[in-house]
Amino acid sequence: MAGTDYHCPHCGAELRGGARKGGSRPGGAPGCPYDGMAYAALRAGHDAIYFGSWRRIDALPTEVRRGYHRIGRHLEAIRSELASHDLPAGARDLDAALSALQAADPREERRDTLRFMDNALSYAHRAIDDLLHEKGLPPHQPMDFSEWYDVVEVPFRDEW
Amino acid sequence: MIDLERYPRQIALRNGVTLVFRPMCREDVDRLWVFFQRVPPEDKMFFRQDVSRREVVQHWADTLDYDLVLPILALEGGRVVGDATLHRQRSGWKQRVGVVRVQIAPDYRHQGLGTAMVRELRHLGEKSGLHYLMAEVIEEQGAAVRAFEKMGFDRAVTFRNFVNDREGGIHNLVVLLYRMSSSPDDPRRPTGASGG
Repeated sequence: MAGTDYHCPHCGAELRGGARKGGSRPGGAPGCPYDGMAYAALRAGHDAIYFGSWRRIDALPTEVRRGYHRIGRHLEAIRSELASHDLPAGARDLDAALSALQAADPREERRDTLRFMDNALSYAHRAIDDLLHEKGLPPHQPMDFSEWYDVVEVPFRDEW
Repeated sequence: MIDLERYPRQIALRNGVTLVFRPMCREDVDRLWVFFQRVPPEDKMFFRQDVSRREVVQHWADTLDYDLVLPILALEGGRVVGDATLHRQRSGWKQRVGVVRVQIAPDYRHQGLGTAMVRELRHLGEKSGLHYLMAEVIEEQGAAVRAFEKMGFDRAVTFRNFVNDREGGIHNLVVLLYRMSSSPDDPRRPTGASGG
């Protein structure tokens, strides 16, 4: 299992294996589970990492490194969005995510690397939820979108 | 002074129900009193005041001062389903420490309302120049402890056999702290020595 099957033409979400599952939009374009949602690209970016192969028990070092860099790009996207909001709590969560990512070093066989990467993703999730809260929207629930990903297992699934 | 122009705010929960968050006003006495009457006895045991008495709630309304206590209500129509308060001091050694308390109606628990209210308090705390938010929770109230931890509060200390309920039972008290962006203890805050 590797790679992305297609990008959503509407929100840019990287989706795998499900263009047919969501039916067709008018004009024959594939459906996108994030289409029309607030912060669709951030949600999709989060979930692509959340359900990514780096979290599998048997993840290869290259998959972990890919996940690491993908988290970095995801945090940059969140930073860009937060820049236009007066949301200090969200900025603080982003800082925490960056610190966690800095502590991870996928170039080395460090036991804590996966944990730090997972922490970075959790803080990123919280920052997205901060943005959603400011719009009066409920938090993002990755599991609502799991059928769009090749989810085998999520070793670090959130408690709630 | 906290800017309250953001209220009233509509907040949607996971189950699709939309609530309104807004500060308590004097006219809220009866609906808040009804809310507290529906709080389960096991939760009431840990209240600091006897909120089953209307005059207690009336006193809060008569002495409302948002700079000292800012109560944010979650309302479904005219019914209060959640109450979150931010307690501050104008002066003295704890003027940079805000104390937060949250109470959720039993039929609104496990729907994300507690987390949303803690998120709201965190925003208010950040905007009011506080260094820390502090929550005190009885250890048995696991859901409340988890809601605070989920929002970035750390367990600072647990006092064993520290507080008593209204029936004389003794309980552990968990103190949780949230460090604000402006906290001098923030490890991510640049220090002068680094030149950053």
